[in-house]
Amino acid sequence: MNPSAHTPAGQPVSAEAVFRVRNLGKVYGTGHAAVRALAGVDLDLHAGELVVLLGASGSGKSTLLNLLGGLDSPTEGHLHYRGWNLGHAAEAALTRYRREAVGFVFQFYNLIPSLTARENVALITEIARNPMAPAEALAMVGLTPRADHFPAQLSGGEQQRVAIARAIAKRPEVLLCDEPTGALDVHTGITVLEAIQRINRELGTLTVVITHNAVLAEMADRVFTLSDGRIQNSHTNSTRRSVTELAW
Amino acid sequence: MSLLDLKLLRDLRALKSQALAVALVMACGLAMMIMTRSLILSLDTARTGYYERHRFAEVFSSLKRAPKSVAAQIAALPGVAAVEASVAMQVTLDIPGMAEPATGLINSLPDRREPILNRPYLRTGRLPGPGARNEALVSEAFSDAHHLRPGDSISAILNGRKVTLRIAGIVLSPQFVFEAAPGAALPDNRSFGVFWMREEELAEAFNLEGAFNTVALTLAPGASERAVIAAVDRVLEPFGSLGAHGRKDHPSDVRVTDEIRVLKGLSFGFPLVFLSVAAFMTNAVMGRQIALQREQIAILKAFGFTNRQIGLHFVKFALVIVVTGTLAGVFGGWLLGRKLVDMYLLFFRFPALDFQLATGALVAAALASSAAALVGVIGAVRRVAALSPAEAMRPEPPASFRPAFFERIGVARWFGVSFRMSLRNIERKPVQAALTCAALALATGILVIPNSFRDGINHILNFQWDVSQRQTVTLSLVEPGPLRALADFRSLPGVVHAESFRSVPVELRTGSRSRRLAVSGIPADSHLARVIDANDRRIILPPQGVVLSKALADNLGLKPGDSVILRVLQGKRPERSVPVVALAEDFAGVAAYMDMEALNRLLGEGDRLSGARLTVAAGRWSEFLSAVKNTPQSAGVVVKEAVRASFRRTTAESIGLIQMIYLTFATAVAFGIVYNSARISLSERARELATLRVLGFTRGEVGSVLVGELVILTLVALPAGLVLGSFMAKAILVSVNTETVRLPLILTPSNYAFAVLVVATATAFSAALACRRLNQLDLVGALKAID
Ligand SMILES: Nc1ncnc2c1ncn2[C@@H]1O[C@H](COP(=O)(O)OP(=O)(O)OP(=O)(O)O)[C@@H](O)[C@H]1O
Ligand SMILES: [Mg+2]
Repeated sequence: MNPSAHTPAGQPVSAEAVFRVRNLGKVYGTGHAAVRALAGVDLDLHAGELVVLLGASGSGKSTLLNLLGGLDSPTEGHLHYRGWNLGHAAEAALTRYRREAVGFVFQFYNLIPSLTARENVALITEIARNPMAPAEALAMVGLTPRADHFPAQLSGGEQQRVAIARAIAKRPEVLLCDEPTGALDVHTGITVLEAIQRINRELGTLTVVITHNAVLAEMADRVFTLSDGRIQNSHTNSTRRSVTELAW
Repeated sequence: MSLLDLKLLRDLRALKSQALAVALVMACGLAMMIMTRSLILSLDTARTGYYERHRFAEVFSSLKRAPKSVAAQIAALPGVAAVEASVAMQVTLDIPGMAEPATGLINSLPDRREPILNRPYLRTGRLPGPGARNEALVSEAFSDAHHLRPGDSISAILNGRKVTLRIAGIVLSPQFVFEAAPGAALPDNRSFGVFWMREEELAEAFNLEGAFNTVALTLAPGASERAVIAAVDRVLEPFGSLGAHGRKDHPSDVRVTDEIRVLKGLSFGFPLVFLSVAAFMTNAVMGRQIALQREQIAILKAFGFTNRQIGLHFVKFALVIVVTGTLAGVFGGWLLGRKLVDMYLLFFRFPALDFQLATGALVAAALASSAAALVGVIGAVRRVAALSPAEAMRPEPPASFRPAFFERIGVARWFGVSFRMSLRNIERKPVQAALTCAALALATGILVIPNSFRDGINHILNFQWDVSQRQTVTLSLVEPGPLRALADFRSLPGVVHAESFRSVPVELRTGSRSRRLAVSGIPADSHLARVIDANDRRIILPPQGVVLSKALADNLGLKPGDSVILRVLQGKRPERSVPVVALAEDFAGVAAYMDMEALNRLLGEGDRLSGARLTVAAGRWSEFLSAVKNTPQSAGVVVKEAVRASFRRTTAESIGLIQMIYLTFATAVAFGIVYNSARISLSERARELATLRVLGFTRGEVGSVLVGELVILTLVALPAGLVLGSFMAKAILVSVNTETVRLPLILTPSNYAFAVLVVATATAFSAALACRRLNQLDLVGALKAID
């Protein structure tokens, strides 16, 4: 089952939009315990874009990213991926979607500690349809020499680059990164971001990066700032800067 | 409540099913131990009280006949406190509604006084009046078997004369707590019963007026039993004494002692296994729980909590499990103990058998299991405490840093992704895998033990019995008779084959050990009575020497090739040193066999026989029995099938009941272990598995990683568990086998199949539960932080 095959007939599809988000909302819990994490979000994200999400802690960035990645379902609004109604997809279809279309990079790497770098990548290439070789993915993030090391033997930055290699090895349509440099120092952060930027450029993968570092906005095509679950501000850069050119 | 305690409560809630599984195993071990220890205490207390109140004698002797004045002589011996001389005769009974004749042992009651020793306990009815005629008391075991009540009548042949006896009352006696025919290895309450009659009438019937043929006595405080026995033997020697013996050779008391010994074996072996398993599981749960909480512990330490505070926190965790397990175990043991006490009343006839909770054992067991749990916790906490907080905050690196073995040898590509992941997980975490494997092997092993008991009994009932005893019935004579008596037996209706045997009371002595029993003389070419060795092969009795049962040889410390002094306890009382030529394997009692001709030669009384083994044509069985009933010279009739049925009803059933209880426990424990193992692997992997789900692995794929691992480990553990179980079964059998009943170690494919089936079912069940939990994994939560 290809998610794009689920395009509902008669639905207006914007040709180039990968994600089409309308009035998206998410409420966690019910009754007294209900927490509104997202409200009235409208977005169109296009192929090949590099998008940065900014916002205070608790503003709903991760919530939005998790909805885009099919980890969770919205409680209101529309969420379409290439015309397919992602917001109302069933569990099995979401799994399929994550498997085929999405690459994730998380703040805490989430590598499998009992597997080497190469094996962590191979784990995904084994189930993907048209993957690159694990070695190739590791080469893209500059980790060829450390391919046979276990996560515990790698630095945080190296672990995060393994996580990126794992995310991109299946040639995903979208790469979703939640604070990929959150646990890293500036210098290490730069190598990680360079890897992400390179993937975005070379593979043309729609990339969404959450960060607390406003400086990073300059590497993006577009920047959205969230506040209290709403998009407060959106901004399009006329020129994208390379990570190394940014004013750290 | 401190916040650490709050954490404790929350952790416990999260781990409740695992904690319960451990508590369950512990409860099973404790229940078993408390049940058996309480039974021991109950039996022991009942016995002591009963013996005291009813003045059970301490030394016993049978003889041919001695005048009453000899009793006074015995009473005057130094070290003798009280003496009771009486008459006891074995007679043939005719019970209405019973085809085959039964055997009765009639004891005399003093005419005008209460017995000094061995006083019967009157259950219902009344005592026969002084000097009453044709009235008897009957033992409860026999009256239960025949539904006899006071007022009913039975016929007995007293010295060739048929007499009708009215039952005055139903009694118990400390001499017959366990009621079996003299010399019989196994009881049959239908064909053998004990009776009491007033002395005058009984003595008159057997021409024993003013005389006695059995004597019992108690010892003065501080007297030596050995010395008194020797003195009594000297006094009674001229009167055809069969030799005096103490309580340790008393057929009824020995049975009670043996049962207590069996229970002691069971109260040790089984619970030891179960409690070790429980300790092991507590260790596994706590150790791995603590390992999972590495980072938390590191953070607590970083914030200044001491190792002691953190240690105490986990100790409390273990204590909650121990306390739960102990409470459940005590309750279970108490319930089962009460049930079993009722069952024991059927085998052991005490006036009352009250259940007594063995509190000492309870405390000891609770302490033992707490100690086991604590050792586990302390070990695990120490390991974590030894880490610097910084180090503890990283996940533990895997032990092996090489590509997995199966990938190196290139077989990996034959398997699916999930299966490969399972294999990798096992290889990369060998310690955890080994622990899980060990737990699963234990689960398999404990299932083998109870069924080996069942198979041992079936082997006896269905195989051993028929191999060694092929007769239909055994008839014995009142007195050893000439060889022509065999011709009389042969001419009974329906007899197909008849073989004589000789049975003689002897004492076997070697060094300081001695043993009294009847040695069996069997014709060299016997078809019916076959002496079997440990390999189920027939032993041909040689013209010289004696074959001892293994149990007897062990008891005397003899092996083939040794010689033993054999002293005959009747007639001319010859004494010879004879070689032990072979050891026989049997399942009940002790026995010694000799070639019948050799035995007769040794006795020097010419060719005589004590009775005959017969096979009887099935169609003429009732004809045969009625003929036997009217044969005055036959004193005893043992129908093989009746004994087997009785064994099935009593010994087999009691072992069977205990076996069922243990099997239930073992099954519960096996489930507990397997489930616990599955839960541990699940909790160790939760974050990893959630990550896989996020990365697009399906539920099925993630589930099969976990299940695959469990299945691989189970496949490894099963054979190991069967081997382990076989060894444990052997060890426990050795510890519970006694002289009275011994079970052979029989390990059948169906026993193994059952163990495998239970563990496989438990695995499937646990895997299904684990998969259900997998579906509830918090995907987003797993990404937020390291828990
Ligand atoms: N599972 C949950 N249950 C209840 N509330 C939640 C849950 N997850 C998130 N929230 C709430 O939703 C809001 C948005 O959370 P979200 O994780 O999206 O914030 P964020 O922008 O990613 O913050 P940060 O920068 O700190 O990661 C917050 O108020 C948070 O408390
Ligand atoms: Mg966030």
